[in-house]
Amino acid sequence: MSDSGKGSDTAVASPKGLLGLPHLGLRDKWERGPIWMKLPVVLALVSFCFYLPFLNILPFAQVRTDLSAAGTDWSSVLFLIVVYMIVAVGLNVVIGLAGLLDLGYVGFYALGAYSVALFGSSSSPVTISLQEKFGFSEGWAVPFAACIPLAIAFALVAGVILGAPTLRLRGDYLAIVTMGFGEIIRIILRNATDITGGPKGVIGIPKPPGPVDADGRDFFNGLDVHRWYWLALIVLFLLMFLVRRLENSRVGRSWLAIREDEDAARIMGVNAFKFKLWAFAIGAMLGAIAGVLFASKQGVVEPNGFKLNLSFLFVAMVVIGGSGNMMGALFGAFLITYLPERFRFLDQWRPFGFGVALVAVMVLRPQGLIPNRRRARELEDRKAEAEEAAVDV
Amino acid sequence: MGALSGSNASVVLPSVNGAKLALKQWSADNDDCEISLEEFDTEGDPAKATPAATKMATDETFIGVMGGAFSGETRATKATFDDAGLTMISQSATATDLTTEEPAAVFHRVIGYDEVQGAAIGRYLRDVAGAKKVFVVDDSTTYGEPLATKVKDELGDLVVDSDKTQEGQTEFSAVVSKIESAKPDAVFYAGYAAEAGPFLKQLRDAGVTATFVGGDGLYGADFPKAAGDAAEGAIVTCPCLPADKAEGTFGADYEAEFGEAPGAYAAEGFDVMTIFLAGIKDGARDRKAMEEFVDGYTGKGLTKDYAFDDKGDVAEENVVIWSYKVTDGTLTAEQEIPKA
Amino acid sequence: MDFSSLIDQIGEHTANGLTKGAIYALVALGYTLVYGVLRLINFAHSEVFMVGTWAVLGVYTVLGATGGSGVGLVILATALAALAAVVASASTALIVERVAYRPLRKKNAPPLIFLITAIGCSLVLVELFGHVFRVFFGPPFGRALVSIPSLIDTEVWLDLGKTSITNMQIIVVVGAVVMMVALDTFVNKTRLGRGVRAVAQDPDTAALMGVNQDRVIMLVFILGGAMAGVAAILYTMNYDITKFDIGFLIGVKAFTAAVLGGIGNLRGALVGGLLLGVVEVYSSTLFSSNWEDVTAFVVLILVLMFRPTGILGESLGKARA
Repeated sequence: MSDSGKGSDTAVASPKGLLGLPHLGLRDKWERGPIWMKLPVVLALVSFCFYLPFLNILPFAQVRTDLSAAGTDWSSVLFLIVVYMIVAVGLNVVIGLAGLLDLGYVGFYALGAYSVALFGSSSSPVTISLQEKFGFSEGWAVPFAACIPLAIAFALVAGVILGAPTLRLRGDYLAIVTMGFGEIIRIILRNATDITGGPKGVIGIPKPPGPVDADGRDFFNGLDVHRWYWLALIVLFLLMFLVRRLENSRVGRSWLAIREDEDAARIMGVNAFKFKLWAFAIGAMLGAIAGVLFASKQGVVEPNGFKLNLSFLFVAMVVIGGSGNMMGALFGAFLITYLPERFRFLDQWRPFGFGVALVAVMVLRPQGLIPNRRRARELEDRKAEAEEAAVDV
Repeated sequence: MGALSGSNASVVLPSVNGAKLALKQWSADNDDCEISLEEFDTEGDPAKATPAATKMATDETFIGVMGGAFSGETRATKATFDDAGLTMISQSATATDLTTEEPAAVFHRVIGYDEVQGAAIGRYLRDVAGAKKVFVVDDSTTYGEPLATKVKDELGDLVVDSDKTQEGQTEFSAVVSKIESAKPDAVFYAGYAAEAGPFLKQLRDAGVTATFVGGDGLYGADFPKAAGDAAEGAIVTCPCLPADKAEGTFGADYEAEFGEAPGAYAAEGFDVMTIFLAGIKDGARDRKAMEEFVDGYTGKGLTKDYAFDDKGDVAEENVVIWSYKVTDGTLTAEQEIPKA
Repeated sequence: MDFSSLIDQIGEHTANGLTKGAIYALVALGYTLVYGVLRLINFAHSEVFMVGTWAVLGVYTVLGATGGSGVGLVILATALAALAAVVASASTALIVERVAYRPLRKKNAPPLIFLITAIGCSLVLVELFGHVFRVFFGPPFGRALVSIPSLIDTEVWLDLGKTSITNMQIIVVVGAVVMMVALDTFVNKTRLGRGVRAVAQDPDTAALMGVNQDRVIMLVFILGGAMAGVAAILYTMNYDITKFDIGFLIGVKAFTAAVLGGIGNLRGALVGGLLLGVVEVYSSTLFSSNWEDVTAFVVLILVLMFRPTGILGESLGKARA
C-alpha cells in the first residue's frame, strides 16, 4: 500500500509515540509519582465508582442508560459491567499474562453460576438428593457463603482437569480444545436433567445474606440494584488487588517470560507447565466468582445463558482493551457491555455495528485501546520487522 | 418485554403488533387519556432482561407489563416485578413452573401452560388421530423438553420410543433411522420451526409416512415454509383461536395495519392490551389498583374467556387448544381439541 | 445406549455420516489452507460458506427453478447455482482477507488480533443477511429459516438390503472427494500450487525466490472460499435450507475436523471431516442427537492427547518444521 511507507517513518522514528503521547506522558508520571500523591486520586476514583449509580447531574448524567422511557436500569447495567470486568480480569491472566488462548472461558463462568445454583437453591436436584440422603428438612440448602468456596473449588479442579492434559498443546490447538471444553460443559448442563435441572435450569438461587431494609425487602433484592453493584465492585477491587500482587511476583514474571519466549524461559529454569497451569486455575477461579455473582443476582440460571458466543465476547473484551494490561481489560469489558445498552435505540443494528466496530478498532489499533506497555513494544518490533522485510523485497 | 431482535424475534413481534393495534383502536375512542407503550428488547436472553425489568419496576409510570415472551426471561424477572407490585400478563410464556414454583402474585398469563397443552396434544394423538404407536422427539430446549415429557405422560404405553435433538441441528439421519425402525403411526415433535422444517423433510425423504404433529412452537408461517412440500398434512396444535373464529375484525384490521396476516400470539397480544386498557378505563391509575383489577378481571377476549385463578393462570376449562393442518403450504384450522 | 440398532444398520449410519462429514471436509479445507500458509485461524470462514448457500437461493429464485421444473432448467439452474456459490464464497473470502487481515499482516500483528477481526467480520456478514438486507430488500432475508427449492428428488440409487444409499448421498460424497482430489493435485502439481507450498514452508525464503506472497495469500483465500462454495451447493441440494446463522455450527465442526485430521494438511481435512461426520452419526444413534457435540469434542481431545498435531499431522508444504 502506498501510504504504508509514510506510516513506517513515523513509527520507526518514534517507536514510543503510542497513545499519541510522548513516552514520558501521564502514565509514566503517574507510575513514578509518590504514594501520598497517588492515594487521594485512587480514593477519589474509587468513591466515584461507588457514587456512579446516583450520578444525575447534567451533562454527566448522559452516561446513564435509563434516560429514555425505554432505557434499562442504570444500576443493573453497572452491575453487569462489573461482573464482566471480573471475567475480563480473570481471562486477562490467561490470555494477556500467560499468553494462552482460552476460547472456553464461559465454561468456568457457568461452573461458578451452577455451583451456587445447584447447592444453594433448595429446589435444585442436587440439594433435593442431599436432603433425602441426610434427612434434612425441605427448605434446606447450602448457605450462600459456603457456596463461594465450593464454586472456587469446582473451578480450580475443572481448570486443572482441563489444563493438565491440554496445556502441552501449542497455541491454536489449545484454543480449539478449550472451546470444546466450554461447549461440553454447556451441553452436559443441558442434557443431564436429573442432576442439573436440564434446559430450564435452576430457580431459587440464594442471595447474599443481609439485613431486611426499611421496605421489608431483603437487603439484596431486585429493585435496589445499586447494592448488588456495590457488592460486585468490592469483589472486583479485591480481586484486582490480588491479581496485581501476583503480576508483580515471581509467578507474574514467569508468565511474562513464558509468553515472550517459552523456550528461553525453560532454559532459564522456569517450569513453564506449572506456571501455565497456575494461570489457568487462577483464571478459572475468577471466572467462577463472576458466575456466582451473576447467578445470585439473576436468581435463575439456564444452560442457554452460557453459549459459545459469550466466550468470544470475553476474549474480545480482553483484546480490544489491550491484552496483558488489566486496565485495558477493564476498559474493554466496560465498552462491550455498556455501549449496546446505552445505544438500545439502535435496536437491531447493534450487532452489526458491533461487528464493524470490532474490525475497525483492531485494524486501527491492533495493540488495543489501552495497551500493555511491554506488549505494545513487542508489537512495534514486529511491525518494524515486517516493514524492513517489505523494504528488502 | 420480549425478544424483539435476535433469532427468536419472529415469535414475539406479532404479539407486540397485536398490542399496538389494541392500543390504537382504544386511543381512537378515548382521546382524553394518553397511554404509551414502551418496548423492551431482551433478545430472549434472561441476562439482558433483568436490567430492563428493574427499569420498569422502579419507574412508577409503568403500571402494567406485557411479557415476558419466553419462559426463561419470565423466570428471571418475575421476582423483581413482584417486589415492585407491577402486574405482568404474559402472552406466550408457557412453562408450567412459572405459576407453580416460587409463585409471584403479579404474574398472569393468557395462554394455557405446557401441562394443559401437553395433555391436549396427547388426547389429540390418541383420540383424534387414533395413533397406536407414537414416537416423541424434543429439541432439548426449555420449551421442548417439558412439553414432550407431558405428552409422554399422557400417552403412556402408546409411546414406542423417544429421542432428543438440539437447537441448530440440520442433519437428522440418526433420529430418522430410529423412527424408521420403530414404525410409529405418528411422530410428535416438541420444538421450533427452524429444526422441524429440515427434520420433517428428511423424515419424508426417508419414506416415513407417519402423521407429523407439532406443538405451538411450530405455529406460524415459518414452519410450512421451512418444510416445503413435506409439511403437507402435518398437524400443528396451538392454544390459540383461528383468526376467523375470533370475534370482530381483528384479522382484517391487523393485516391492514401491518401488511401481513397475524402471526403467532398476535391475538394474545391484543387481548393482554385489552385487559390493561379495560383496567385504565375502570379507573386503575396505579399499580395496586391495576393488580386488583386484573386479578378480578372477567371478560371475553379474542382467543378465550378470561378469568385468572389465584396462580395467575386462565382456568383450564377456558383454555381452547386447536389443531391446524398444513394444506397447500398454509395452516388451516382443523378442529378444537376436545377437553378431557 | 442402543448398540443393536447401530450394529444392525451400520452401513446406513456410515453412509449418513460420510455425507455429513463430506460437507465438513470441504469447509475444513478453507481453514486448513489459510492456516497452512498464514498460521492463523480464519474464524470468518463459516460465514463464507453461509454466503454461498444464499447465492444458490438467489440463482434458483432468479431462474424460477422449482422441484417441478424441466430437466434442462434443473441442470442449468444447478450448474449456475454451483458457479454462483463458488464465486460468492470466494469473493467473500477475498474481501475478508482484504478488509480484516491484510492491514494487520502489514503490521505483523499477533494472531490473537486476527481472531478478533475475524469474529467481527463474521458478525458483520451474519447481520447483513439477518438484518441489514432485510431492511433494504425484505424477505427472504432475516432471522427465519429459509427453504430452498429442492430441484432433484431424493431417490434410492443403491439398495444393499439393510443399507440404502440415495442419489444425494452419492452426489455429496463424490462431489466432495472429486473437489478434494482436484485441489490436492493443484497444490502439488501446478506452478501456482508450488508457490503456495513454498510460502507455507518458509515465507521469507519463498519471497527471496521471487514468489509474490500477497498473491499466494489471495490465492489461498480464493481456493478455500471456492471449496466452501462447493460445500454450499452440496449442502443446499441435500438439506434444502439456509439461514443467516447457519455457518456457525458447521464452521465450528469443520474447524474441529481440520484440527482432528491435522490442520494445514489437505488430506487431513478429508480424513478429519469424514471421521467427524461418522462419529457424530454413530453417537446420535447410540445416545441421542443432543450428545453429538460432546462426542465430537471428546474424540478431538483424545486424538490430540495421543497425536498432538492431529491424525495425519500438519503440513501443507510437507517439510514443515
